[in-house]
Amino acid sequence: MVKKKKEIKSRNDFFHLPEVYTLGQAILEADRCLLCYDAPCSKGCPAETDPGKFIKKLRLRNIKGAVKTVKENNILGGVCGLVCPVDKLCEEECLETGIDRPINIGKLQRFLVEYGWDIGFNPLNKKKNKDINIAIIGSGSAGLICAAELAKEGHNVTIFEKNEKLGGNLRYGIPPFKLDDKFLDREIEDILTLGVEIKTNHEFKGKGSIENLLKQGFKAIFISAGLTNPYKLKIPGADSKNVITWYDFLWEVNGGDINKVIEMVKNKNVAIIGGGSVAMDVGITCKLLNANSVYCIALESMEDLPADREDIHKAIDCHVIIKPQSQIKEISTKNGEVIGVKGTEIKLLKKGDFSPSNIKDIPGTEFSFKIGSVIFAIGSGVDSKNKEYLPLVEFDKKRYIKVNKKTLETSVKGIFAGGDIINGPGLVVDAVKDGKQAAKSIMNFLNK
Amino acid sequence: MKDLSITVCGVTFPNPFMLSSSVVSNTAEMIARAFDAGFGGVSYKGIGGPSVEIINPAPRMHSLNLGSKKLVGLQNVEQTTDRPLKDNIQDVIWLKKHYPKNPVMVNIMGFNKEEWKYLAKVFEDAGADMLELNFSCPHMSVEGSGMKVGQAFKLVRDFMEIVKSSVKIPVFAKLTSNVTDVTEPAMYAKEGGADGITAVNTVRGVIEVNVDNFVPYPNVFGKGAISGYSGPGIKPISLKCIVELAKKKELGLPLAGCGGIETWIDAVAFLLSGASLIQMTTSIIRYGHRLVEDLIEGLSFYMEEKGFKKVEDIIGKALPNYHETIDFDLSRQGAAQFDLDRCIGCGVCYIACQDAGGQCIEWDAEKRRPKIDQEKCYSCMICSFVCPVDNPPLITFKEIKGKKIYTPPPSKLQKIIK
Repeated sequence: MVKKKKEIKSRNDFFHLPEVYTLGQAILEADRCLLCYDAPCSKGCPAETDPGKFIKKLRLRNIKGAVKTVKENNILGGVCGLVCPVDKLCEEECLETGIDRPINIGKLQRFLVEYGWDIGFNPLNKKKNKDINIAIIGSGSAGLICAAELAKEGHNVTIFEKNEKLGGNLRYGIPPFKLDDKFLDREIEDILTLGVEIKTNHEFKGKGSIENLLKQGFKAIFISAGLTNPYKLKIPGADSKNVITWYDFLWEVNGGDINKVIEMVKNKNVAIIGGGSVAMDVGITCKLLNANSVYCIALESMEDLPADREDIHKAIDCHVIIKPQSQIKEISTKNGEVIGVKGTEIKLLKKGDFSPSNIKDIPGTEFSFKIGSVIFAIGSGVDSKNKEYLPLVEFDKKRYIKVNKKTLETSVKGIFAGGDIINGPGLVVDAVKDGKQAAKSIMNFLNK
Repeated sequence: MKDLSITVCGVTFPNPFMLSSSVVSNTAEMIARAFDAGFGGVSYKGIGGPSVEIINPAPRMHSLNLGSKKLVGLQNVEQTTDRPLKDNIQDVIWLKKHYPKNPVMVNIMGFNKEEWKYLAKVFEDAGADMLELNFSCPHMSVEGSGMKVGQAFKLVRDFMEIVKSSVKIPVFAKLTSNVTDVTEPAMYAKEGGADGITAVNTVRGVIEVNVDNFVPYPNVFGKGAISGYSGPGIKPISLKCIVELAKKKELGLPLAGCGGIETWIDAVAFLLSGASLIQMTTSIIRYGHRLVEDLIEGLSFYMEEKGFKKVEDIIGKALPNYHETIDFDLSRQGAAQFDLDRCIGCGVCYIACQDAGGQCIEWDAEKRRPKIDQEKCYSCMICSFVCPVDNPPLITFKEIKGKKIYTPPPSKLQKIIK
């Protein structure tokens, strides 16, 4: 129930995952649950992981059943437990009931998944092989879920992944204190156990190379290649040395050469452009790598920051300085090296509209910081080569793949798409939802 | 998922979980919902004879809470069904038509021989798979009804005989625990031809008195009554009754366990102790039909883990381990063991041991840790019951070879008294 008090952690310990519940703590937490009818928390989960159900099961000591509910509904349940912005989803709904503090749903979910691993309980079954081949392009959350759902039903699924390891943004876009390799590998193992085939380090080349899979024995394709083109602002100095994107930064932290980023930030002041959860993650990581002052410069006001509340609190705890309602105008350089940033505070003529014509500088608020490195964390766009690989598939104005929002079917029969490549940057649970929906639609399509 | 089906007196239940005769089995609509949720069978709510008018007090129930835990016990002064006989018959017919695989046991209560006979026949004709004779309602006020029958053992036999001579379907006797020895009325039921025993109905009790107006709950317009108490609080009593009945060799009848069952672990305990069917009400009031999912999954996983193929294989497995206390091996002793690395230093073990145990725990105030004198420990284990560090428990019992029984020395205070 209660655990021995831990010694206060050093800052570097943030590079490890937070502690997982013991069984006793989990049951005690479940005991607080009101066991709502038509549980609001379950409605708050886009992936339909159904916390209301697994908490009730835990409460009635049906622990294996609870593990089964999580994993059957969301095979990436452990990952979601760690990375979901629960205070905007299930736990926000929980709080709405008037409970004094919401049930720690994310932590319970992660506990159940790890508990299942600890006792060697695998609730997932595979149906008889159907001898139908399906291709999945990209192994981020949407792709992994879709692969698992189809494999469970007995399809032969092949995942094509351009990187060395599976996971997409889960592996390369999330810092290790939120989700580490060991945990991700273990959860992906659950998917591979279903008999999914993987082709990593796979680069598509040439016109129609993805669409052509339909002629090579694959009955359907699910495209979940994500967004691979991180944005930079077009301002003076943006092409200097030590100006990189969040994606390149976290890629080095997670799988590349961490010394490269340490050199970039250690004992230097760092400016991060952006106010989302990724900007906070990058800011915290910089502090853990012993940066001096770290600034997160965001257009939004403090209350409108798009970052998850918990991420903002964690960033502030790590002494990241958030500068809201501010815009960077210029990156100052000397001999090609960054020496500072210049900007002003702004106001919006119309609330919530961040288009350039709606942003107005506030005179007299100009600022300049002494900065050694700049990291852009303002989202990502689509890969410019998508149109080459998919000449027949239609794209929308933002160059996302156009789909039927219900079925996720593209303009080409047999090709489906989901995740960030159709929605733009989104949450892991939204990608999980797409993965599940795509699997359903593909099976419907095959049954026609 | 394991096959949980079980056949009792030739009637096959998809699983052993049943609604007991109570508010939760009052209408076909309700029972249909329970079947849809996964319940195996039902004991249809107690139906009285036409001679008694329908009476039901308001309010009918009250909850016993324990700290923040609600409904650890339930008090009710409810009588038989609040619906006309005709409607109940139609409901049984409807249920058998739409849920042919879910056995319907109808709980009946006559007030004289003719009524017992009439009710039994009517429900056999309506398609009931089994009957359950209510010899145990703890708050019927009419002589020759409810618990008063269960206490006048000859009536148990006589009424059973009448019913058995009028119907062909199996008949259970539902007994009360409000007797010295539950096997006595059970033997009389057997003499009358009973095919099985349901044990037990609610226990006579009083859960709370309103300290402002001095009226016990439930307060029926200024009046309270000693009446039926159910829920997790009575589980030890109902389980005891099942063990006594199962161990009575001359009885040898199938048993339906009833009283305080909430989780699959409770259900397995009843099966291990000799019950073939599991009935419940209070836990359904607390959690709804959805709890059956956890009973089914829990039992199924348990059977998988233990290698049981059929539910029948579990029944009575614990019975050889029930003994008289005189059979205990008193030469073996042990002591409480503390995993102090996980201790949080709350000191509740020390308080419990000093105030209610063997006084073998001392307190290291500086380190905030208990110090245990194992020689003095007499293994009451109350320290482990209050320790908040659990799963696995911080304090466990361990045998110590050659340990002598410790007798506390004469009290230091004795000198002063002299």
